[in-house]
Amino acid sequence: TVPCVRLLNATHQIGCQSSISGDTGVIHVLESEADLEWPLSKGPNPPYMVLLESSLFTKSIMMKMKNASSRVAGVVVVQKTSPPEFSPHTTCPNENTGVYTETYDHNLAHCNTTVWNPRGNGLSYEEFDSPVFSLKEDNETEVIKQCYFDHNRVVNGSGLQYPLCAMQLFSHMHAVTDTATCMRRSSMDFSTSPVMVCDPLGGYNVCAFIRPYNSTAFGHKENESVVIAAARLDSRAFFLEDSTGAEGSVSGFVTLLAAAQALREATQEAPPTRNILFAFFHGEVFDYIGSSRMVYDMKNNMFVIDLDNVHSILEIGQVKTLRSGTNLFLHSDPVSRRNNTVTNLVKNLQSSTAGLNFSLVETDFSQPLPPSSFQRLLRARAIPGIVLADHQTDINNRYYESFYDNAAHLNLTYPSNLSPEEQLEFVTDTAKSLTEVATAVARALFKQAGGNNSQVNKINADPKTVTQMLYGFLVRSNNSWFQAVMAPELKDILHTLTSIKKVLGSSLRCVFCLSEPNPPQYYVGVAKSSHQANALTYLVQYLLANLTGTATNLTQSQCKKPDELPNESTYLYSYLWVQGVVPPNSTQRESFCVRTAVRLVKAVSPAFDLGDYISKEYSTWTKSQWKFIKARIFLVASRDLEMLTLGVGVAVLFTSLLVTYFVRTKADVLFSSVREPNNAAY
Amino acid sequence: MNLERLPNEEKLTLCRKYYFGGFAFLPFLWLVNVVWFFKEAFVEPTYTEQLQIKTYVKRSGLGFLLWVAVLTTWITIFQHFRAEWGEVGDYLSFTIPLGIP
Repeated sequence: TVPCVRLLNATHQIGCQSSISGDTGVIHVLESEADLEWPLSKGPNPPYMVLLESSLFTKSIMMKMKNASSRVAGVVVVQKTSPPEFSPHTTCPNENTGVYTETYDHNLAHCNTTVWNPRGNGLSYEEFDSPVFSLKEDNETEVIKQCYFDHNRVVNGSGLQYPLCAMQLFSHMHAVTDTATCMRRSSMDFSTSPVMVCDPLGGYNVCAFIRPYNSTAFGHKENESVVIAAARLDSRAFFLEDSTGAEGSVSGFVTLLAAAQALREATQEAPPTRNILFAFFHGEVFDYIGSSRMVYDMKNNMFVIDLDNVHSILEIGQVKTLRSGTNLFLHSDPVSRRNNTVTNLVKNLQSSTAGLNFSLVETDFSQPLPPSSFQRLLRARAIPGIVLADHQTDINNRYYESFYDNAAHLNLTYPSNLSPEEQLEFVTDTAKSLTEVATAVARALFKQAGGNNSQVNKINADPKTVTQMLYGFLVRSNNSWFQAVMAPELKDILHTLTSIKKVLGSSLRCVFCLSEPNPPQYYVGVAKSSHQANALTYLVQYLLANLTGTATNLTQSQCKKPDELPNESTYLYSYLWVQGVVPPNSTQRESFCVRTAVRLVKAVSPAFDLGDYISKEYSTWTKSQWKFIKARIFLVASRDLEMLTLGVGVAVLFTSLLVTYFVRTKADVLFSSVREPNNAAY
Repeated sequence: MNLERLPNEEKLTLCRKYYFGGFAFLPFLWLVNVVWFFKEAFVEPTYTEQLQIKTYVKRSGLGFLLWVAVLTTWITIFQHFRAEWGEVGDYLSFTIPLGIP
């Protein structure tokens, strides 16, 4: 079961809440929209617990049920067929925290010119005061439906016979109103154990320079010019823990990872004049947590470079599979277009597609940037940049930020007779087209960084890497390649955890871990106080380390303390001990130490560091805590029977009181004393 | 403690102790005073100290009613408006309920 939980920001609370002792309702399986009459008005036994299939999970049905909350105790969504299109996100994502504010350009603010997500129904940002759960179609769901068919079906329009099958959902959230209130309540400690009510969202950004800097030296670097290649890691869905984001985010960061690998050899042989930073931002869906943090760090000299060092930015947005002959589009900002600073970057990009099966087309000059991390950098400084995407105007992803944006949506199909290991190696068409995009991106970055033009055609992305990454991120993350690149202590996170029952607030106790091979969760999650990232961050970190770093001969103990060796430096590099592959004739893994420039940079919104919980500038998203979340079904008796039982009980109580009183007053009459004949015999 | 067995002076001293004790923000002492000494003050046949006990009981009763009025008013206002008072309401509370404003 995946619940819908409560999130809060500076002004609103969104999501779902149940009452503290759970919400009970008689189960009703919804067959069509017209069938809503029964729970909303006609049914004789309110409140109802409405069970609907995913094709009926639409905004109109949900809003009707929201308005009748006295008759609808909760909603359960069963994931079955996907509707033709569904996007629960808002129509204008991140509209207040991007670059297009009233002051920047009045006409471009609030999606006045281009509505980026026209299919968006905003369901993820609605507030429900009854619980909403999501179930997969498996044995448990069959039990529920069977219970409904046995007890709750209406026979020929006549009334239902009690006992009826009912369901109770518990998802009581602790936080209310908005972030400022819940953070204030979390920090007030009158008792010995303060109750934490909510946690800020956040995680870690993954960053890697091709020429690393001393990681302790923050601030401006003289004569250093950096090209930033950015992508976002996270996505969301209505049910947060069901986020997949195949087209929305995975396609982008897999392309950038492949481009990073393609650039490794060329940049080591002939290093370009400018440095390149590969930045994978986390938390971008929730008002640009990762990128706003990086900009804040750069402005306050808490990052190894600052904004003056940034030369230009290339961001990889969503890049879906291309049929041959289709194009990808280069989005830029109209206001900075007027200064002609972007033309060089565009030229480099367009010339990089020579010999490949697609071409890059610029979008209309008056069209603003789509929602992207580049907007946050632009908000701080007018840096030239391009966002690469597969849509010319609005985002054409039918399942933008929903749980249908999965491998099937990316046309990731494998022939049916392959084993999982063979599927891992099989190069799909999607992988082939993403490889071409990655090649173009890598070449463009090389040229933009001032690399030698003669080397450019040797830069090629590896389709095998791309298809393995797509398989691991979208189909099954517990595969041999991912196991080989991970650290030994982290290998368990690959058994990813789609059904995590969070016990005791925010500490992630895995009470019911599925060891099913599922893709990792893409929702950014809460920022943990210990230095622990979520599975996705570690995967990207270790993959980037493997693809851009070098294997060394260090032993495991040397890998932990490399500073003692003459040629190694933890200022510049980080040293990761990874599991390695299992050679064909043995069972032991050949683990080794990777020297890499990849670092994890904390990505928590600056609003929480500054204590400004009503900030309009930065993301203020927090997630509520809860005690437990569970669901159960049982048979419930009619109200009349309950009242009768209670009445009989009370009557028995009073009768017994009366009888006791009478017996007490008439005790001497009832128990006339019989003289014991032999009481003096002892 | 059974009041029947006490001599009258001791009854008066007890009643006085409870009366003065209630001024230390202890309205329950006044309630106990009223309930306990009611029979003594108004039902029993007259004796010398009864007049004093009567005054003490009456004043304890008045004091208790005053406390009830004040506390009821404050509790009603607080319960009704705590959510609207936002920060002030939270700082005045000892335990804040979870999940509701």
